[in-house]
Amino acid sequence: MLNYIWSGLIVASLVFALWYDLGDLAADRYRNGQALPVDVVVPSTYLPDARTVDVTIQVDPADYQAFYGTEAAPATGSYGGTLLQTAEGRQLRFDATESLPELFATIATQSQSNDGGLQGTLVDFGPPTGSTTLPATVRFERVRFVKMNAISQAALDFATTAAEIALGLIGVLALFLGLLKIGEEAGIIHALVRLVRPVLKPLFPEIPEDHPALGMIALNLTANVFGLGNAATPFGIKAMEQLQELNPTEDTATNSMVMLLAINTASVQIMPPVLLLALLGLQINQLIFAIIITTGLSLVIAIAATKIYGRFPGSRASDPHRVAE
Amino acid sequence: MELVRQSIALLSFFVIPTMLVAFPLYGLYKRVPVYEAFVDGAKEGFNVAVRIIPYLVAILFAIGMFRASGAMDFMADALGPLLALVGFPAEVLPMAIIRPLTGSGSAGVVAEMIQVYGEDSLFVKMAAVMFGSTETTFYVVAVYFGAVNIKKTRHAVPAGLTADFAAMLIAVWTVRLLFG
Repeated sequence: MLNYIWSGLIVASLVFALWYDLGDLAADRYRNGQALPVDVVVPSTYLPDARTVDVTIQVDPADYQAFYGTEAAPATGSYGGTLLQTAEGRQLRFDATESLPELFATIATQSQSNDGGLQGTLVDFGPPTGSTTLPATVRFERVRFVKMNAISQAALDFATTAAEIALGLIGVLALFLGLLKIGEEAGIIHALVRLVRPVLKPLFPEIPEDHPALGMIALNLTANVFGLGNAATPFGIKAMEQLQELNPTEDTATNSMVMLLAINTASVQIMPPVLLLALLGLQINQLIFAIIITTGLSLVIAIAATKIYGRFPGSRASDPHRVAE
Repeated sequence: MELVRQSIALLSFFVIPTMLVAFPLYGLYKRVPVYEAFVDGAKEGFNVAVRIIPYLVAILFAIGMFRASGAMDFMADALGPLLALVGFPAEVLPMAIIRPLTGSGSAGVVAEMIQVYGEDSLFVKMAAVMFGSTETTFYVVAVYFGAVNIKKTRHAVPAGLTADFAAMLIAVWTVRLLFG
C-alpha cells in the first residue's frame, strides 16, 4: 500500500507541476519577452553615463493589471531600486528587501540579480527631459517551468529537513532510552506490564504474558495522552523494538506493530498540541471538548479498522506469524 | 473547559519530572547500577536516529514535492463537490488533505485560515479540531517503523488513513453540533 501511495505522490507531483507550467505557458502568464511600462524616478543630480544610480521604481497599478491581465494590484506601486549601466544595456534592479506582489516574486526566482533582487532589462528608456521622473519599459527574463523548479527544490530541501529532524531526535532519544534501561533493570516496566495487561491484552493478543513490550506501549500511550510528544516518540520506538524481538521476520510488520502504529496515528492526546495553543491562544478552551470527542471516536475507528483490515486475505497472507508457521 | 484544560496541563507538567526522578531513585533502591544502566540505554539514541533517516527522507521528500507541485489545490477542487454531500465544507478541505502529510504544514494552514476567516469562524474551529485530534500519519509511520527497519507496513497505512478520514468528518460534525 505504502508503495503505491509513495509513488503516487511523486508521480502526481510531476504531472501536476507539468500541467500548471504548461498552463502558464499557454496563458503567457508572465508575459515573457514583453516589456512592462514603469516610471523611473532618478535623483536630480542624475547623469546618463553614471554606472549605478539609486532610483525609485514606480509601477502604476492600472498598468500592472492591464499588462498581466490580473485582478490583483500591487500593494504599493513604489519600490527602491538601482539603475545599472552594463555591457548588455541598462538594467533595472529592484532592491532585494522590497516586498513584491506575487507575480513579481515568481518572476524574481528566474530573473534576478546576484543579490537576489528582481532585475530586468530597460527598453524604451528615453534621455533625461529635465524632469526626474523618466518613463520606461522593463523586460524581465523569461519565466518558464516555475513548478518544475519548485518540486525539485522541494525534494532537495525536504531531504535535508528529514535528516535534520532525525538527527535532532538524538538527544531526547538518548535521554529516554537511558531512563527506560533503568526502568527495565529496576523492574518498573515489569510492574507496569502487570498493571496494564487486562486493558491492552485484547488489543495486542500476540504479545506473550509478562513481556516488557506491553509496558513500553503503556508508557507511549500515557505520554501521548498528556501531549508529551518528545517522550512519546522514544517510548513508542522502544515498544517497536520489543515487538520486533517477537517478530519472526526482519522487515514485515506484525499485527501488534500495526495496532500500535494505528493507535499512535489516531493520536490519543487529550492535551491540545502546543502549536495549536500558540496559534489560537485561550480560544482553545472552547475546543477541548470537541477535540476529546473527535480523538476518542477516531481512536475507536483506528482500532476497528486495524482489526478488520487485519482479517483481509492480503493482510493474513503477509502476517509474519502465519508465514513462520 | 478552562478548568479541565488547566488540570490536564498541570498534570502533564509533572509527568516527565516525576519519571526523571522516580526511575533512578527506585533503581537505586533496587540496587541497580543506575548510571551505568542509563548510559547503556542512552547509547542506542544515536543508532536509532540514524536508522530513521532513510525512512524519513523517503517520506518527506515525496510529501514536499507533492505540496510544491500545487496538486493539493487540484485535489481540493476535485474532491470538494463529493465531500459536500456529507456536509464537509470545501474551505477546510486543504486542512484535511495536508494533516496526515505534515505537521508544520497543517499548522501553517490553520494560521492562514485564521487570517482569511477570522479566529471565531466555524472553519477555523473545524481545522483546529482536526489538527488537535489527529497525528501526522506518514511521519509516525516513517519514524516508528524506520526505527526497527520495517519496510513492509501491511495494513498500517490504510488503517491510519481510515482513522484520519473519520476524524476529519467527526471534527466537522462535532463543531457544527457544538457551535453551528
